[in-house]
Amino acid sequence: MQTKILLDEEQIPKKWYNVQADLPSPLDPPLHPKTHKPIGPGDLSAIFPMELIRQEVTTDRYVDIPEEVREVLQLWRPSPLYRAHRLEKSLKTPAKIYYKWEGVSPAGSHKTNTSVPQAYYNMKEGIERLATETGAGQWGSALAFATMLYDLKCTVYMVRSSYTQKPYRKSMMQVWGAECIPSPSTRTNAGRAVLEKNPETPGSLGIAISEAVEDAAGHSSTNYSLGSVLNHVCLHQSVIGLECREQLAIVDDYPDVVIGCVGGGSNFAGISFPFAGDKLTGKHTETDIIGIEPASCPSLTKGLYTYDLADEAGYTPLLKMFTLGHDFVPPEMHAGGLRYHGDSPIVSRLVHDGVMRAVAYHQSEVFEAAQTFARTEGIIVAPETSHAVKGAIDAALACRKTGEEKTILFNCSGHGNFDMTAYDAFYSGKLVDYEYPDELIKQALGRIPKIS
Amino acid sequence: MRRIGFLINPIAGLGGTVGLKGTDGSEEEARKRGAVPHAQDRAEITLGVLKNISDTCFLTCSGEMGERALLKCGGIPFRVVYSAPKKSSEQDTKNAVRAFLDEGVDLILFCGGDGTARDVYTVAGRDIPILGIPAGVKMYSAVFAIDPAAAGVLLSGPYDLRDAEVMDVNEEAYRNGVLETHLYGIARVPVRPGLVQAAKQVFEEASEERAKTEIARFIGEVMIPDTLYILGAGTTTEAIAQRLNVNKTLLGVDVILNGHLVASDVDEKTLLRLIDGHRDVRIILSPIGAQGFILGRGNQQISAAVVKKAGPENLIVVATPHKLRETPALYVDSGDRDLDAVFGKSIQVISGYRIAQRKKIGYPGTENSIPL
Repeated sequence: MQTKILLDEEQIPKKWYNVQADLPSPLDPPLHPKTHKPIGPGDLSAIFPMELIRQEVTTDRYVDIPEEVREVLQLWRPSPLYRAHRLEKSLKTPAKIYYKWEGVSPAGSHKTNTSVPQAYYNMKEGIERLATETGAGQWGSALAFATMLYDLKCTVYMVRSSYTQKPYRKSMMQVWGAECIPSPSTRTNAGRAVLEKNPETPGSLGIAISEAVEDAAGHSSTNYSLGSVLNHVCLHQSVIGLECREQLAIVDDYPDVVIGCVGGGSNFAGISFPFAGDKLTGKHTETDIIGIEPASCPSLTKGLYTYDLADEAGYTPLLKMFTLGHDFVPPEMHAGGLRYHGDSPIVSRLVHDGVMRAVAYHQSEVFEAAQTFARTEGIIVAPETSHAVKGAIDAALACRKTGEEKTILFNCSGHGNFDMTAYDAFYSGKLVDYEYPDELIKQALGRIPKIS
Repeated sequence: MRRIGFLINPIAGLGGTVGLKGTDGSEEEARKRGAVPHAQDRAEITLGVLKNISDTCFLTCSGEMGERALLKCGGIPFRVVYSAPKKSSEQDTKNAVRAFLDEGVDLILFCGGDGTARDVYTVAGRDIPILGIPAGVKMYSAVFAIDPAAAGVLLSGPYDLRDAEVMDVNEEAYRNGVLETHLYGIARVPVRPGLVQAAKQVFEEASEERAKTEIARFIGEVMIPDTLYILGAGTTTEAIAQRLNVNKTLLGVDVILNGHLVASDVDEKTLLRLIDGHRDVRIILSPIGAQGFILGRGNQQISAAVVKKAGPENLIVVATPHKLRETPALYVDSGDRDLDAVFGKSIQVISGYRIAQRKKIGYPGTENSIPL
């Protein structure tokens, strides 16, 4: 009974897969926040290197992974694919559950899959420092690790509530030589404006993005780096799904259900886009691709599909996506990485087109799932990842009812070794089940004329 | 130097152990049945925690109403500012509070039950924070610490203030098995400063006032034209009215239509009549009392009949995160079991701007039973 399905280092993908190539029609373009006209490469060059701008808009099906990047990826890739025998047994399900374990990277999550190429391209174009935001600290530590490899400086604006909850994420960034600042901070206009309105704010990803963008735009040798949402980030993460497809082929399997947790959408994109591509091109049309989001910040299930800003202050382009509004500060909960008002434009488009779907869960039920997973498979996952675990468990339990022997694949995106405060809160009964009062909002929206 | 007014209702809780469900007017009967007062012991636990507290002076009453316990405990500087007769009464509680106020105390710590809370609040009002050491038969008011030691711990460190309902329980009816509670007032009580410090995990609005403003901002945004809004009692619903520039009664039920007050401090009959004329009705309520009752305590005007007529799905529950933190579950006791059951196992409570919490609903006599 095989548990781990492994690939050789030679089998790390040599090209990233770009699902944009297989969309039936092009994505709606990002719009300039002031003119509301489609933006051009020039609008982005103040904060991004040209190669990433090119990757952002390309519709080529494959993009070469530079050899220097693949060599770094070899530190942890190919990541193992596990068959969750013990979890299946405890659930008494006829389904087969596989999980892709991305917690093996130095920073402990999938985020290094994109932080490394991003730092690499910036270094190539002569940039000296990167500024970024981080929610739970996964992205901040991943970029700290990557910038260290290429001798870049790194400034991380970390959402204040997470900064307090997870002090050791900050320490990690320090070990790798980055500077980590709680956001909102007094360093930027965006941060100061928020603090003035509400000095006790827990912060949000939207606010932290504004701070990092402002920092990058104001310094010529500094660029900005985003850990999720954007097309090039989803592109880099496609290595996850590409490897999964190879690994499953070894055991002669193909997923009926593909699951990932969704904040900005990058890890979900990573595991699912290759399978979404198979669906779009008619190779496997029946795959059920499910993004799992928190009930407190349910952009895909309760948001509007419309143009909205990617940050709080309005520095970023308008993106066509599912959004709860850029001014929405999601309630403080433990999956800090999922506290984002919007979603990847590609994920949004695929959900809108029905290629994928989304489900939302409350915090305490996902921690229960994470506990089940830890007590069967051993791995203590990050609170973000626990959403995907819950999704997979529910899919497997549904199979128990119907007797279907489905193949379920989920992205086990990161470990929870720095999230013990969250587990403590779960065990002491202090978890609050936040949710988004969408009914009231909908009722009001239905009757009140829309204000643009 | 901080000054704390301290009093004990020596006979609080006396009726409880002998099944009298309250001590008002039945002290003799209670003692005859063998009841032993325990308010002194309860207060001593609190004082034990506060022993050697720095920069604090207690102002108290003579004898059993405070002095004796402080002497026995030792280590707390105090001064007697009210001389109580050997057999004290409700009037002595009120007189003592008045004496405390004259001395300019920062807070009043009392040991008793709902009756004592009511008497202290009657004189102190919302100006001076109060805190109860639980020792009574009934403690439906939200002004009590969880236990006597917790009261001591609370006063040992820095604290914030929040609103807490003072409930008036009809003792006569209660002895006959009928729980009749009314919202008597809303006091200010000390609470541990936000969860920011306590657990470093929930990081909501540290200030309860700001949280109310956020709730009001949200409700203001989702209010629908030509819909009758029935606002229950309390300071959170008051904040909603304030946002609309409407003067709401703090303890009563008021009705708003298109941003204007159409009826104030209404009774059940008026509510039923008003609902009759409107297709769309919403009821906005905040949980009341220490146990977190949505219906059946303090909002009795909003009866089962009113809720049924408006439609139970049109109930909007609002509460600050601070209030919700104190109440692990919410309770419904409308007097109509079928209606209570409609609410199911959990309910959405608006707790901020576009933020809600899902809270469990407890039902007496089930696994989610109320801890009384």
